Amino acid sequence: MNRPVLSVKDLAITYHSASGPVPAVRGVTFDLAAGDSLGLAGESGCGKSTLANALLRLLPDGTITSGQVMIDGRDLFALSPGGLRAVRWTTGAIVFQGALHALNPVQTAGKQVREPMLIHQTVGSEDEARVRSRQLFERVGLPANQLDAYPHQLSGGQRQRVLIAMALACDPRLLIADEPTTALDLMVQAQVLALIAELRRESSLSLIFITHDLSVLTYVADRLAIMYAGKIVESGPSLSVFENATHPYTRALAAAFPTIGDQTSRLAPSGLAGDPPTPGALPAGCPFHPRCPLAEDRCQTAEPVLRKAGQAHRAACVLV
Amino acid sequence: MTSLAMQRRRATAGRVLGQFRSSKQGVIGFSVLLVFVVIALAAPLLADVRELNPVYARASGNPQWASPGEFGALGTDHLRRSVWVQFVWGSRVSLFVGLAATILTISIGSVVGIVSGFVGGRPDAFLMRITEWFLVIPFLPLAIVLASILGRNVWNIILVIGVTSWPSTARLLRAQVLTVKQRLFVDRARSLGAGNGHLVARHILPNVSGLILANATLAVPISILTETTLSFLGLGDPSSPSWGKTLEEAFVNGAMVRNAWWYFLPAGLGILIVVLAFTLIGRTLEEIADPRLGRSR
Amino acid sequence: MLASEQPESRGRSHFILKKVLGSLLTLVFVLVFNFVLFRIVQSDPIGSLFRGRNVPAAKIAELRTAFGLDESLWVQFWAYVRQTFQLNFGISYQSRQPVWNEIVSAIPATVALVGISAVLSAVIGTIGGVIAAWRRNTWKDHAITSGTMVFYSMPDFWLGMILLVGFAVVLGWFPVGGMTDAGSTATGLALLLDRLHHIFLPALTLTLAYLGEYALVTRSSLLDVMGEDYLTVAKAKGLRDVVVRNRHAVPNALLPVVTLTAINFGFVLSGAIAVEAVFSWPGLGKATADAIRGPDLPMLQGLFLLFSAAVIFFNLLADVAYAWLDPRVERA
Ligand SMILES: Nc1ncnc2c1ncn2[C@@H]1O[C@H](COP(=O)(O)OP(=O)(O)OP(=O)(O)O)[C@@H](O)[C@H]1O
Ligand code: SF4
Ligand SMILES: [Mg+2]
Repeated sequence: MNRPVLSVKDLAITYHSASGPVPAVRGVTFDLAAGDSLGLAGESGCGKSTLANALLRLLPDGTITSGQVMIDGRDLFALSPGGLRAVRWTTGAIVFQGALHALNPVQTAGKQVREPMLIHQTVGSEDEARVRSRQLFERVGLPANQLDAYPHQLSGGQRQRVLIAMALACDPRLLIADEPTTALDLMVQAQVLALIAELRRESSLSLIFITHDLSVLTYVADRLAIMYAGKIVESGPSLSVFENATHPYTRALAAAFPTIGDQTSRLAPSGLAGDPPTPGALPAGCPFHPRCPLAEDRCQTAEPVLRKAGQAHRAACVLV
Repeated sequence: MTSLAMQRRRATAGRVLGQFRSSKQGVIGFSVLLVFVVIALAAPLLADVRELNPVYARASGNPQWASPGEFGALGTDHLRRSVWVQFVWGSRVSLFVGLAATILTISIGSVVGIVSGFVGGRPDAFLMRITEWFLVIPFLPLAIVLASILGRNVWNIILVIGVTSWPSTARLLRAQVLTVKQRLFVDRARSLGAGNGHLVARHILPNVSGLILANATLAVPISILTETTLSFLGLGDPSSPSWGKTLEEAFVNGAMVRNAWWYFLPAGLGILIVVLAFTLIGRTLEEIADPRLGRSR
Repeated sequence: MLASEQPESRGRSHFILKKVLGSLLTLVFVLVFNFVLFRIVQSDPIGSLFRGRNVPAAKIAELRTAFGLDESLWVQFWAYVRQTFQLNFGISYQSRQPVWNEIVSAIPATVALVGISAVLSAVIGTIGGVIAAWRRNTWKDHAITSGTMVFYSMPDFWLGMILLVGFAVVLGWFPVGGMTDAGSTATGLALLLDRLHHIFLPALTLTLAYLGEYALVTRSSLLDVMGEDYLTVAKAKGLRDVVVRNRHAVPNALLPVVTLTAINFGFVLSGAIAVEAVFSWPGLGKATADAIRGPDLPMLQGLFLLFSAAVIFFNLLADVAYAWLDPRVERA
């Protein structure tokens, strides 16, 4: 058994904001083995992107982090600036949420795809970078002539493919995809999903796939982790979590079966009553209790911890 | 209904005031400006206006080119006049011209901008063409030409600054009116049969007034600096000398070669400080009117 | 796919053509405006020529005919347009020389002074703005922002007066005015050095005076860009902070600054009027200041037309530069 590509222990992240500290992630622990894929789901604001950005230390200055992240055997928070730059994109690359703004508008797509190869010297020359970027474009299903296109000349789906090609530029061991399909229309979403699934099959890429949409995850992820209010509330093998959800929140998520591309399902993915709590003002006890249909008195006092709920399946609910 | 509207307006005023008070730059700018406004208003108490008259100055036996230690707080000039008296009375003219010209600028700019944005269509296209043309005409030379043709007095200077500097205000307001217009409630009010006058008075104006105020405050420095330059170039009103006029006389009469710094330093500093004060206030108001700016400033 | 197959230059040349036509229209407006300003508002050019001096009526009538003032407005207007295109702006009241000759002889001095200061202020101001934004709310930011704001808030000629008194009168390091030492017969390198010695203070004045706008605009433009996702992407790629800044942030932030620069180049030509007067710099600005004292109306008219044309030209240049730098322009 090889060591995990990623090992996260008790990771907590608190943003600094004008109205006080924002505890966006409050103690998350998980491992990701080489070649495995983990799906991360939860409502808007539960801390998914925060977690993703933390894995490459991309959080704004002033953010407080605690816990440990081992990426490919290296302690992320102990890395020197140079060491950190070396890890970025070669070990872990990320496809950001909101593809429309993730490309520099005044540079061609090809130039932006070649940039990380040249920076990390994974290619010997500019020419080699060109050859490789053409291969990457082919792999993500883009015609080579679009290497010379500027972002505004590409459609949303094409831009998303450029971002994926860019993420693959240095052959990372880990790919983090933060809602890569959210801004796209239905057909294109399906195509991009198929592309990611295919890339996974072809290589030993480890994947963290983030979405608010549970049904998508069973398609691309071996394991699922459900986040609520900055914590993982349930995790386990995809099918097990999806079909035998133990946590009331997961059940609500799974039951709703949101349609891909439906914006209302994004905002209230499960048809749950009420809003998710704001990180600054979490309810005492189980943070889900104000919305939980099964809540009991004891849910308001102590916050439940993750407990075994089946084969490699854990959930954080007093009922487990 | 009216009392409700008034209440709301009072609440808005209160909020703006509160936000203004919590801004350090706003408070500093306002306090500094207050000092100068007091000086300008209290000029008759602070300095004898007769001292501006060279004949009177000579008769009172003032020394010529006296440095601050030798005569009064700020010394005297080539005509034996006290520089302090010139400074105090100059503040009046500079502030007055600055404010009056700004009112004219903002009035023209607001009317053009609001009409253009609100009416749209051909009148809009026409007004914006004109605005663009005026933006392209270099405004200092135009002001110079106008001032030389119209003659040297305070009102002409005000007029000249007013008619040359309105275009940027017009553009800004037009853009803002367009956004406001798009907002739903205007449509709602229109469907209820509100007339155009009512729409402008009740919905457009309240929503752009913050911007107008901020823009006006930021236009005062331009007016004051333009007045200063015009006066320096000899286009100022000889009968009501501004700070710019003092600078001109200092320059023309060789204060620089004599190193008579007391003659030209106070007036320039006065302009600098007043302009800075208005800029600070204006930026604060701008941030309140458009909170997005807060980040970028 | 369709988008990239379309020749992108077509969108651009269309855009540029539109801008050129717009500029020509503006030029026509300026011509008409200039005519109206000087021929109609100022109803008695001959009277103002002599300004109250006693001149025989016959002489005045003769001059009126010579100036074509007895013709109808239309005839006068066409004559004016024709003359303008022949670069005939009349005779200066003061020097009795053709206005165009006077202007031409003043152009090099102004272009040298204004060119140097415009370039220096744009470069230094932009760099200052970039540093201030990238290190916002640090002491560097505060120093740059408040420093440039102070220079921006003072009359430029007053700054010139202070520099002149300090460095020329008191310290004697620099000449008090002019473009060369009086009576100097220096040539070649010596002449160049003499000129540099003379241009230093006025150029410093204008540079300091114009810095502020560039710094402030660059700063706020860069701050806008700094929230963009593509900068986080650049950081995630493992780029150094300076590379993220220089390769990804600055090129996007500079787009509005380029426009400002080009537009300002048009305006500085006329902006140096008072400063040239302070330093007796024999350029267009000083010519304007001298013409005001007359007032030398033909001279003012010619200068005004030239200044306007400069602004129009540089505005056009700004648009062209924008089209060239921003690939999105074909959409706009
Ligand atoms: N830079 C920041 N400063 C302060 N608070 C922040 C910042 N970024 C995010 N937050 C807050 O942290 C919380 C988690 O945000 P995050 O972006 O991680 O959510 P998310 O799960 O990715 O949501 P979405 O599905 O909308 O992308 C939210 O409440 C958000 O408002
Ligand atoms: S702990 Fe209680 S409130 Fe929380 S999910 Fe379980 S039952 Fe619901
Ligand atoms: Mg997110």
